[in-house]
Amino acid sequence: MTSSKIAVVGIGEVPTALLPERTHWDIVYETGMAAVRDSGLGKDDITGVISVAALAQPAIEAELAYGRVPEELGLKGVRDTALVNAGGSSTSNALRLAEQWIAAGTADAVLIHHTTVHSTMPLEVKIAAFANAGIDLQWEYPFGTTYNIIMGLLASRYMHDTGATPEQMASVVTALRSWAQKDPHSLFFGKAAPTVDKVLESQLLNTPLHVRESNVLADGGAAMVVVSAARAKSLGVPAAYKLGESVRYFSSTCVMRDFDVVRAGFAVTATEAMQQAGITKDDVDLWNVYLAYPLVHPMMAEALGVAPPGEGAKYFHEGRMSFGGDIPWSTIGDAPGRGHTGSGVGTACYVETARQLMNRAGERQVDDCRFVYQNTAGGSGFNNIATIWGNEA
Amino acid sequence: MEFDMTKPLPVTQPWSEPFWEGTRQGKLLIQTCNNCDARIFYPRKACPECWSADLSWIESSGRAVVFTFSTAFSMVEPKFADELPYTIAYVDLAEGVRMMTRIVNCAPEDITFGMDVTVVFHERDGFRLPYFEPMRAEDPS
Repeated sequence: MTSSKIAVVGIGEVPTALLPERTHWDIVYETGMAAVRDSGLGKDDITGVISVAALAQPAIEAELAYGRVPEELGLKGVRDTALVNAGGSSTSNALRLAEQWIAAGTADAVLIHHTTVHSTMPLEVKIAAFANAGIDLQWEYPFGTTYNIIMGLLASRYMHDTGATPEQMASVVTALRSWAQKDPHSLFFGKAAPTVDKVLESQLLNTPLHVRESNVLADGGAAMVVVSAARAKSLGVPAAYKLGESVRYFSSTCVMRDFDVVRAGFAVTATEAMQQAGITKDDVDLWNVYLAYPLVHPMMAEALGVAPPGEGAKYFHEGRMSFGGDIPWSTIGDAPGRGHTGSGVGTACYVETARQLMNRAGERQVDDCRFVYQNTAGGSGFNNIATIWGNEA
Repeated sequence: MEFDMTKPLPVTQPWSEPFWEGTRQGKLLIQTCNNCDARIFYPRKACPECWSADLSWIESSGRAVVFTFSTAFSMVEPKFADELPYTIAYVDLAEGVRMMTRIVNCAPEDITFGMDVTVVFHERDGFRLPYFEPMRAEDPS
């Protein structure tokens, strides 16, 4: 038996896009109101608001951190609000804080949301943010490294160790984008997924990473309403119940990150989260993996035991994780499928997990979806938080 | 739009200054703990293994092997665009620590996993960055 404490009972989301005229606050209003309406609660039933940090957007971050959302949306019942920042794992921490507020009686219905607008960011701010955030300014940055290069270092070694081919690695993009093609909230909705050849024909940025294996920055946002599991049951609405969680910290500085420790951390967090949920990997209906870069997905597939050691990339190449394949995997296509909204990719993944468990994912709906594995990772990979969610408490 | 194209220098801390001073003298120094003998990289104020503040430095042989590498052709920070293509690597030093570095004096296609490399210092505005180059045949092993 599990002891689920919280559940998501409402979701709201805007499509990712490069849409400078859609402001941060347009997104806050649209996603927040949609999530509350979706939950069936009234706006004044919301008693807590938690914002997920917007990377390198100091103006909106200051407004959110200093409590603007309840006032702006007229949420008269709110007792407290806070902004959380743990990079890509911010949304996991927002959910933890919501769980604590609900357990302590601080709040009984919490709105968690994220808003990001990259398209109006000045180019030099964008470059500065992505050139050295998460990269050590003494031991890494002066050598000329970048996020793409860090992923290149990891993927190069993975390919060396497993013999995975460039074609197999490129197929991860094809798989992730095959989900995005069917996702009305993606900027790639209705656009054909690039073939392996097309990925490999795109410019080589740094070995082994091609331009189509890197991420497109996008604007976006999502929101969800969280209540206690008991309340979700009494509301009698479709809900996503949190059933288990496990986490490991790896390192802040990229060069300190032992790849074997990361692999082991991916594995043990999944095992522990599933144990807590009282399930095994055969019970998992959807692996909703969030890693930002496609090239890390094969390594995760192996660590989760979804693919045998050394065969993760081969599984992607065989189309097993693609739309229509036999292993439902990252059904919004992770950041390559959604466009990169910074920490918001994590929020979007949780919203998708809830959507699947509520049986509302349209064409992407996983049949009889009862249990979902959902992870987040912070920064360039400082940790991995594994969670299990179910459609019953 | 004006960009500052000055190449970045290491942002040092008081306890890492001896490392950079060492490079100016042509030495690659590794911090060690006098209490528990840990080899420490990157340098800390206190030993990350035992929290001792009794720390000192040993001179590395400068020899390392390439653990992994990635050669960049595009989309780097604009300050480094004039150096493309270049190769970033993690190298494992004989003394048991891993560093991020550049592999230089070698065609990118000739770089291999496990390749033996040796330190070579690269001047940048008062700093000497520890880059690595392939070990030459005449290098004593």
